[in-house]
Amino acid sequence: MKRVLLILLITTLLLGCSNKQQDQNKTYRIAVITMMQGGEFWGALKNGARSARSATGSVLEFLAPVNESDYEGQISAVQRAIDQQFDAIVLSPSHYTRLEDVVAKARSKGIKVVFADTSLMNVHPDLSITADYQAIGKAMAEHAFSHFAEGEPIKALVLGSMPNTSSMTAIVEALAANFAKKEGAAIVNATYSFTDEAIAKDITTSALASDPSINLIFALEEYTAHGVANALKENQKVHFIAFGTTQYEIQLLEQGVIDALVVVNSFNLGYRAVMAAIDLLNGIKPIEKLVDFDLVTKESMFSEEHQRLLFQTLQ
Amino acid sequence: MKSIRGPHSIKTILSIAIAVVSISFTLLVSAILYTQFSSTIRENATVSTREIVRQVNANLNFYTNDILTIAGYARDLAKQTNDLPRFEIEQRLRSIVDSRQDIVCLVLFNLEGEAVLSTSDAKLRSAKEIKDQTWFTRALGGEGNFYFTGPHVQQLFTSSYPWVITYSQQISYLDEGGETKYGLLAIDMNFWAVSELCQNARLGSTGYVYFIDNNGKIVYHPYQQLINSDLFNEDLDAVQEHIFGTFTNTFEGRERLVIVDTVNNARWRIVGVAYMDELMSGLDQYTSVMFLVLAFCIIITILLSRTVSAYISRPIRELERLMNSVERGDFSSPPTVGGNQEVAALSQTFALMVGRIRQLMDDIVKSQEMKRKFELDALQAKINPHFLYNTLDSVVWMAEQNNTEGVITMITSLAKLFRISISKGRDIITLSEELEHVRNYLIIQQIRYRDKFEFSISMEAGMENLPTIKLIVQPIVENAIYHGIKYLQEMGHIDIKVFKRKPGAVVIEVRDNGVGMDEQKLSNILSYEGPHHKGGAGIGVRNVHQRIQLYYGSDYGLEISSELDEGTLVRLVIPEQVPIHPIKVASS
Repeated sequence: MKRVLLILLITTLLLGCSNKQQDQNKTYRIAVITMMQGGEFWGALKNGARSARSATGSVLEFLAPVNESDYEGQISAVQRAIDQQFDAIVLSPSHYTRLEDVVAKARSKGIKVVFADTSLMNVHPDLSITADYQAIGKAMAEHAFSHFAEGEPIKALVLGSMPNTSSMTAIVEALAANFAKKEGAAIVNATYSFTDEAIAKDITTSALASDPSINLIFALEEYTAHGVANALKENQKVHFIAFGTTQYEIQLLEQGVIDALVVVNSFNLGYRAVMAAIDLLNGIKPIEKLVDFDLVTKESMFSEEHQRLLFQTLQ
Repeated sequence: MKSIRGPHSIKTILSIAIAVVSISFTLLVSAILYTQFSSTIRENATVSTREIVRQVNANLNFYTNDILTIAGYARDLAKQTNDLPRFEIEQRLRSIVDSRQDIVCLVLFNLEGEAVLSTSDAKLRSAKEIKDQTWFTRALGGEGNFYFTGPHVQQLFTSSYPWVITYSQQISYLDEGGETKYGLLAIDMNFWAVSELCQNARLGSTGYVYFIDNNGKIVYHPYQQLINSDLFNEDLDAVQEHIFGTFTNTFEGRERLVIVDTVNNARWRIVGVAYMDELMSGLDQYTSVMFLVLAFCIIITILLSRTVSAYISRPIRELERLMNSVERGDFSSPPTVGGNQEVAALSQTFALMVGRIRQLMDDIVKSQEMKRKFELDALQAKINPHFLYNTLDSVVWMAEQNNTEGVITMITSLAKLFRISISKGRDIITLSEELEHVRNYLIIQQIRYRDKFEFSISMEAGMENLPTIKLIVQPIVENAIYHGIKYLQEMGHIDIKVFKRKPGAVVIEVRDNGVGMDEQKLSNILSYEGPHHKGGAGIGVRNVHQRIQLYYGSDYGLEISSELDEGTLVRLVIPEQVPIHPIKVASS
């Protein structure tokens, strides 16, 4: 009897040791699926994810369609991640309903799903890392109003990128709410460029032509901002607030074409989404915290803090 | 006070003693080894980490020296504006900058912020914008004063935003008019070139190197992005406390090895951070192996201690078992036990003792038997004085009556009776002698009781010389007369028959027709416990029974059956033995 006990003890010890080593050497495979392959915003997000990879020794694979509007391509990217049995998926859904089925499927297969930036309407992930887009919308509106004298009429054009993403919807809602509160302020039109510079330029040009009283434009995405800027070029009367950190936008900020750049720390989005995925896989509760953002103006662009935010992908 | 727990067995005590000693020793050795090994690993890790940090610092030093050399060269050229055209000087400087990817540009400004010499054709920002930048203001203050900035976005040219580290130095130069003036030399180095020097340093798997300036502010940190977003904290307080050297501390739950060194040229300090658990990962492996070995050793020790103690205690157990059996009265088993020397000796002594006890017990039994035999024999040999007195009284009476024949018969019988009684002191006589003895007794009694009874004696042919212990029939017959026949009104009968009974027994049967005995008297007559009346029936009978059993064993003795008013039947059973010779009676 005693001998049997002793053998059991040895076995337990051996198993304990080998298990411990397995745990330490466990590397997770995580698919990071952004809305599109290019872009400064997504580039910074991917850099953040890479930084998390270096810190944890996990394996990342970046999957994304070429265009943000290609949600079908994103669905098939998620499907591919399911087929290849990734441990977790970090996803920025480019359509708030169309990706619901495939995300539900991934979760049902036990894959941890973390949303970065955008989310879905009805299907919830294991965790969502995002910026406070309502607050961003409010900050943008307030900054815009500061450029106008009291009582001066404000007519704004809002240009988003994708109509069916949670982030765009939230900002547009917040802008509308703040404009409603402001006397003499109105949003003339809110429309979408589908992340296409040319479309954005055309919309801007025709909008300004049909309503020359438009004196404020919001561009909610970097490619859209480029298009608007191209249309505005010589027109200095219109105030322009844009999302993004591209070199072109920074130049425009210095030149005074853009009044303020809204910068969401997408490096953090990527870093925290990957870290959260690993925490979830390890059974640890991840930190729930909103990702920071800031409004950068020409005056503040070279401050130490804003340098790092604004020029993050240029580092 | 009595101990609650009973005494432990030798085996348990030995097992525990061996196990405790061995395990303590093993644990002690393991602990010493572990401490030794862990301190060695720690030392090695510290040394190698410090070496890596020193290497990074040396590389950086080498690099900054290189920059200083270039600055020196530029400084020399700036004083030769009289000899060389501006374009020639710029050409020489440009060839240096172009040959090195890490240098973005080299520009000499006058104190108003306007460019005097530049290696770049790009459009410079306004003099005012340039004059306000940190690198410009901090280097002012005297010739030779220089400054290294931390990484920042270059703000020299419009529409260009590379991350650079700027080296700036106040120098004097000759302007186009040949006048010596103060100016500010700026060399912008690509930030990635510098950061690569740090990033290549591997301190464990996630350790890193960062720089702080003389105010304890971070100049460069690989996790700057995370620090900005509060996702990562740096333990700057501890570094401020330790200006220089190596220390370990625990920060956010992880033990860190921190190495602080000063950086030459720049007023920076380099800080290397390595996580102890990563550096000591070798120790983990060693620990788990050691735990396995330790567990194995302990298990082996326990098994071994059990085996050894069992080996030592087994003979003692065996001896104990033997002693127990002896205690229960079993002296038959030879009590010898093998095993170790001491127990074997003990066992031998015990065996001798048991043998001696057995011998003594046998002796006691034998002497007791002898004593009883002597007692009984003595009792038997005693002639009832009443019998002799009565007989002689009868003889006197017959002589007075002139019954000569009666006197002769009486005296002859008495003589024969005594002769056989004595029988030369032997215990064993033949059956015919025994019967002769009883016949003479009966003759005497017949005369005394005036033909109150008749008797017959018969024996199967060929049994005459079979041996028997003597004088066993007479007491039975005496008993029959005194307690059976005497009280009869009619004529009494005593019949004695001798015959063989299978297997190997001789039966002497004495039957009378006396008053007989009741059940109780019958059951008492042969037992020792029965009530003994002085001179009452039974003593003689019981003596006979005991004598037969003493001589021949418990298989033999008396068998008595009786019925009131019917008579009594007594059977003396003795073994059939080899015939012997009768006593040769000396001729009268």
